[in-house]
Amino acid sequence: MQNMLMGPMWGIIAVATVVGLVTLACFIAMFRYLTHPGEHNPDHPKYSILRRDR
Amino acid sequence: MAVTAQDIDIGRTGSAGSGGEAANEDPALAALFKAYVVCATVWLLFGTAVGLLLAFKFGAPDFWAAKYLTFGRLRPIHTNDVFYGFASLGLVGTALYVTARSCGTRLYSTRLAWIGLWLFNIAALAGTIALDLGYNWGDLEYREWPWPIRLVFFIALLVTVWNLLATIARRSSHDIYLSNWYIIGGFLWTCVICLVAILPWYQKGLGQVAISGYFMHNAVGMWFTPLALGLFYYAIPKVLNRPIYSYALGVLAFWTNLIFYPMLGGHHFLFSPLPWWLQTTAIICSVGMLIPVLGGSANYLLTMRGRYHGRIESYPLAFLFIGVLGYLIGSTQGTVEALRSLQAMWHFTSFTVGHSHLTMYGFVTFAVWGGIYALLPLATGKNPGRLGVAMHFWLALVGVTIYVVALSIGGSIQGLDWIRGLPFIQSVMDMKPYYLWRGVGGILMFLSHIVFAWNVWRMTAGQPGNAPSPIMEPEGEVAA
Repeated sequence: MQNMLMGPMWGIIAVATVVGLVTLACFIAMFRYLTHPGEHNPDHPKYSILRRDR
Repeated sequence: MAVTAQDIDIGRTGSAGSGGEAANEDPALAALFKAYVVCATVWLLFGTAVGLLLAFKFGAPDFWAAKYLTFGRLRPIHTNDVFYGFASLGLVGTALYVTARSCGTRLYSTRLAWIGLWLFNIAALAGTIALDLGYNWGDLEYREWPWPIRLVFFIALLVTVWNLLATIARRSSHDIYLSNWYIIGGFLWTCVICLVAILPWYQKGLGQVAISGYFMHNAVGMWFTPLALGLFYYAIPKVLNRPIYSYALGVLAFWTNLIFYPMLGGHHFLFSPLPWWLQTTAIICSVGMLIPVLGGSANYLLTMRGRYHGRIESYPLAFLFIGVLGYLIGSTQGTVEALRSLQAMWHFTSFTVGHSHLTMYGFVTFAVWGGIYALLPLATGKNPGRLGVAMHFWLALVGVTIYVVALSIGGSIQGLDWIRGLPFIQSVMDMKPYYLWRGVGGILMFLSHIVFAWNVWRMTAGQPGNAPSPIMEPEGEVAA
């Protein structure tokens, strides 16, 4: 209904492609870290925070 | 390779017997933390008492209809006081504690932190008085305070973030722990948001609409959300005596929150004269927010995995767990609401009010409570009573569930009535039973706040209670 406000088609495609790739990469990274959290080094901050704070 | 509790030497973070180590090591920090929590509690009681009165004005609009008690004056008092009085002070207090402890140092300046507390309180008090006297900045949601008062709040932010940055700069560890990323990010983003919202050339026309959407949503998502998530990243591992599932995922959630959140406020103004591309961008960013929300929530839930019994034994964990669920459900609901087809039905209805309570109460408020129950006993050496914490938890949970469900169903009916072109008064009549249930939920929530105040008293100045230590015993193996 508001087609006149949508702007040029190629601009929309360009924006959608860039945004889509960024979003897809973020989703892939999310699943990567969910399945392989890693971080086994005992000196990693996620372990050191559990020690006495100071 | 497995990392064991022995490898990382955990289990000495605090226990029933060692509660109050912060009070012994750093009494200034403990006193400061107590003061922030007490002030937050006072604002919670006041702000939600006003909210309860407002809920019943829907059923009885003429009840206490004196000029100073009209809906138009009380509504912004309720929202601003729970935002900038309760939630802000609760989160800033825990942020100061978390930053100092996780950096292994003392606060850069206790005096600055006290000045910040005074400024936050002065802003909230002056804002309340101004709004009740009728000095309202207009239809700018969550920034109804006259601008000089908002300036006081802004100075409080600057004073506090300076203190936090200087504290982090003198940390004893090499890395900056993840919680501090979120805390500092939240403060810096909010300084920008407050500054933009006060610029005179954005106070009229379409610019005002765009900035209104920018401010109102970012005040939630770039202030309360990062501070609450930062609190999760410290409190959940501490309570469980177990590291966060994936640190890298927390970092990813931080940056994706930064990428997607700032532009999504426009979804409050779909079908408005705002440029169509801006509205579409807001919808796309709302969908993109699924990444930090799903990834972050999964990270917290996977950290809790296998210790479900802990949510019964450890009430701080129960509060934190509900906070995570509130974040997951409320934020996902926000993405769904941003879609044009659904926004067409729910816009301007009570559904949105239910959504905002699911996020600000189910997520942020439960996070604040979880953080306080987890950390304040460590600071003061005083635990609350088991019965008091249980009553607080269940009254608040049942209350907010009734509240959100009632407004979600009622709001949907309201929206469908409007789509069908029924007379407006028909939608008002259809909402009547749901307004009543909203009041019932509100009563339970307010009762829980009275119990919370009692628990805070026991954790600070009163006789300590019989609740066990907020810190659970460590497991033999903490990561696979």
